[in-house]
Amino acid sequence: MKARTEALLRLMAVQASYTYERMLGIGVGHASAPLLRDVFATRTVRERRDAVARSADFFNSHPYLAGVAVGAEVRAEQQGVPGAMISRLRMALSGPLGSLGDQLIWAGWVPALIGATLVLAPWAGIWAIVTLVLVHNLLRFWVMSWGLDLGLREGLQVGAALQRSWLPRVADDAQRVAAFAVGLALPIVAWRLLVGANHVGAAITIATGVIGAVLTLLPATRRRITGLRIGLVLLGLAVLYVGGTS
Amino acid sequence: MIPTPVQLGGLMAWGTVVGLDLVSAPQGLLSRPIVAATVAGWIMGNLPGGLVAGMTLELYALDVLPIGASRYPDYSVAAVASGVASALAPDGVSAGMAGLVGLPLAALGGWTLQALRRRNALSVHRRLDRVSRGDGRAIWELQRNGFLRDGLRSFGLSALGIGLALPVALVPWQRFPHANALSWAVVAGGIAATFGGAMRSAGAGARRRWLGVGLVVGLAVVLLR
Repeated sequence: MKARTEALLRLMAVQASYTYERMLGIGVGHASAPLLRDVFATRTVRERRDAVARSADFFNSHPYLAGVAVGAEVRAEQQGVPGAMISRLRMALSGPLGSLGDQLIWAGWVPALIGATLVLAPWAGIWAIVTLVLVHNLLRFWVMSWGLDLGLREGLQVGAALQRSWLPRVADDAQRVAAFAVGLALPIVAWRLLVGANHVGAAITIATGVIGAVLTLLPATRRRITGLRIGLVLLGLAVLYVGGTS
Repeated sequence: MIPTPVQLGGLMAWGTVVGLDLVSAPQGLLSRPIVAATVAGWIMGNLPGGLVAGMTLELYALDVLPIGASRYPDYSVAAVASGVASALAPDGVSAGMAGLVGLPLAALGGWTLQALRRRNALSVHRRLDRVSRGDGRAIWELQRNGFLRDGLRSFGLSALGIGLALPVALVPWQRFPHANALSWAVVAGGIAATFGGAMRSAGAGARRRWLGVGLVVGLAVVLLR
């Protein structure tokens, strides 16, 4: 298997040994190993081991964009950049790769695709789910591959290359699409789940939900009140009511 | 409708896969409730029941942003158990049963994720010397062990969740004429989670306007159906 393909496959498990101390560090070290093996084929064992140790140090980013750092680090090692500078590059990349990835993926295309699936699922059934998984994974693999190649091409200049790329602009657009898709899905999902409820029941449910949402946003309550906690409390009350009226 | 051993085996395998998918690998959205619960319903022979569970738990999961070191509930395996519970419940109570089984399990699943990460850290500490010397084998062992640990966590949660969901088939629903209140409670909590989360994510600028436009269009679709 080619080193690049092996690195891409390993990037799919970059969080397998996630810890709060090193975060993705060990996973990045694991993904870098095939590429470093090629780069250090003609150098000393000591040099290769130093590079492997650096590659497994603390690192944090969005998991789909970790390949950018893997590529940049391997390129820098290939160019003989001093180890301390490579470690600084990793630290410098952590913030932007985490922030851009979270905006583009977790707050962008994932909720956008989920919102679209929630809208379509009542009519398209399992095909909406299959399409969601296929589209997401095609996008994800393309982004991972693009990121690894960007890092391998740019090396130490990868930060500037990221800023010039499509990523910051599309991340902003993706969040707008996500906001629209989630807004669109919410009334449709509520309607589907409340089918069979009378008007009073539906009105009480929606009003309770909106009041709950306000509580999750108010500065005085938002730290303690989450959607999950509201759901658990309401469920507890409903169990008492259902049990009491049996 | 008690599942056959083949169905139970399929559910356990699916629960383990989606639990692994959430963090370890391959992070391919298999762990999203709409996917995990719908497939669980399909395995149970009741795809619409699984879909109801998926839509219900997805309302809660949309509130979660798994950013950096944030701590969050694990809706993956919980959605599989919810799919089973929903598939076994009558119409009108499906969403309620999905929440009754899935929401506590999601909270428990989130706690097990923290425990897993602490255990992974211990494993790193044990091999710190080898990792610092650039021993590739030690790095591979850490990855393998982390993956296996997460697999074990997901398998255990699946067994617990499916075990909690199966008694739904034995409930004498005719004795509970107001059981649909469970569904209303779960949906109300889901609306609070999604709407609150969407408002927070949207901030105060253009994204909030897009959220508003989406809500208006969604309401129009419902009213004009």
